[in-house]
Amino acid sequence: MRIAIVTTFPPGKGSLNEYGFHFVKFLQTKTDMVSEIVLFVDELPEGEEYSFEQSAGQIPVRAVPCWKFGAWDNVLRIRREVKKINPDIVLFNIQFASFAAGKVPATLGLLTPWAVRLTGVKTAVLLHNIMETVDLKQAGFGGSKIIESVIRLFGNIVTRFILKADIVAVTIPKYVDILVEKYKAKNVLLAPHGSFEEASEDVPASAPTGAPNIMTFGKFGTYKKWILMEAFEKLQPSHPTAKLVIAGTDNPNVKGYLDGVKNKFSHVPNIHFTGYVSEEDVPKIFNDSWVVVFPYTSTTGSSGVLHQAGGFGRAVVLPKLGDLEELVIEEGYDGEFFEPESAQSLADAICRVIDHPQRMLEIGSRNYLAANGLPISEVVDWYLIHFQELLNRKN
Amino acid sequence: MPIEIKTTEYTLKIVVIAPQGRVDAFEAPTLRKMCEAYFESGVTHFVFDLSEVTMLDSAGLAVLVSVLKRTRQNEGEVRLVWPKHEAASRILKLTKFDQVFQSIESSQIVPKGF
Repeated sequence: MRIAIVTTFPPGKGSLNEYGFHFVKFLQTKTDMVSEIVLFVDELPEGEEYSFEQSAGQIPVRAVPCWKFGAWDNVLRIRREVKKINPDIVLFNIQFASFAAGKVPATLGLLTPWAVRLTGVKTAVLLHNIMETVDLKQAGFGGSKIIESVIRLFGNIVTRFILKADIVAVTIPKYVDILVEKYKAKNVLLAPHGSFEEASEDVPASAPTGAPNIMTFGKFGTYKKWILMEAFEKLQPSHPTAKLVIAGTDNPNVKGYLDGVKNKFSHVPNIHFTGYVSEEDVPKIFNDSWVVVFPYTSTTGSSGVLHQAGGFGRAVVLPKLGDLEELVIEEGYDGEFFEPESAQSLADAICRVIDHPQRMLEIGSRNYLAANGLPISEVVDWYLIHFQELLNRKN
Repeated sequence: MPIEIKTTEYTLKIVVIAPQGRVDAFEAPTLRKMCEAYFESGVTHFVFDLSEVTMLDSAGLAVLVSVLKRTRQNEGEVRLVWPKHEAASRILKLTKFDQVFQSIESSQIVPKGF
């Protein structure tokens, strides 16, 4: 089959670029089912271009930069390119703010799966979050009760348009339940996130020594607040040598967030900001850490970082948030939990890991097994099997 | 003059695998290894009798799907005896693999199942 994917992709820095990268990396190896891969990606800044690693015998990938974050006409431009290339199926790797930070262009962009389906091409959407579980205030879309209500109404309408795709995949069981119950959807299925790494890393056999390395990874500013820095400050008296590594960049919706954090916590020693972490540097960042912290204050859908932490056998500290807690239990992960709004609770949870090497190893080993239970290479097979069923029905 | 009889013998290797209890991230590797050994011994058709499985998670389902994929490549088949327990059937329904795998009754396993 000939597959097209609407996605962000490195060196593009839009959200879900890493998921796009790993998905495509393994899709390239599925030569028994796939003959061509085209990526409808966002336009890069001048001087940058997309390039793809391709081993012998793998399916070649072609990038068609045809949309831009924040633009109002993405739906038309993507639809036009789909019509030109006419793939068997188009997969959208998206979340609610994939196409823009502004409400109107974001909404227009989310109509693209529906607009593409009208061309007669089969469509599948991998929807990483759903409106029903997003805390709009935390996500930076709130402001007032009236505005929130209006956004929810539009979210409801947009969700109905997204559900017009042939297949809508979500990564958390609860999302399937919500979409089926609220929208009576019959085309929604669970496709777990999967771990990015191959089962090649060894679980650490003994606890690390030296100064504790506390790490957080991702794009910061919407759901991920400075509660971690406050907690780290509280750890100073008991753990003066501990190091906090903030790995990643601002969320595109909250530019300048990390600079603000740097200024506010400039008096706290041993906080390191890595900036953007390229793919080749990811293993070192994880392997050096004692514990990976998820300083979320609101739900964010499935966490790629949790699966990555598991892939590297790391212990994790997580907020007590419905979706995340459910995911941890359903997928067999383990971790220490904290109250999402309490820096003291977070500091205590970190101590329960870094001060107890046995517990650290136990969590790391369990997460390693959970992550390797379903690598993304197999999740890609799940998609292909469903795509093939869909195309067989068409024929 | 004696009758001339041509005979052709077909051997279809079917294995019935009936795990019991939990099939999760911790037990799945054992199941995966077992299936791998059967593939190497020439088995092309698998029946997974899930009737006594009390819990199946995504890692457990991943094993079944990987076997499905490989048997299809070998022109074989996978069939499931449906789990009795909701905690085992839920993941099949959520992922819509209940619409991909063919199911059979325990009494039909062999040879009527094929």
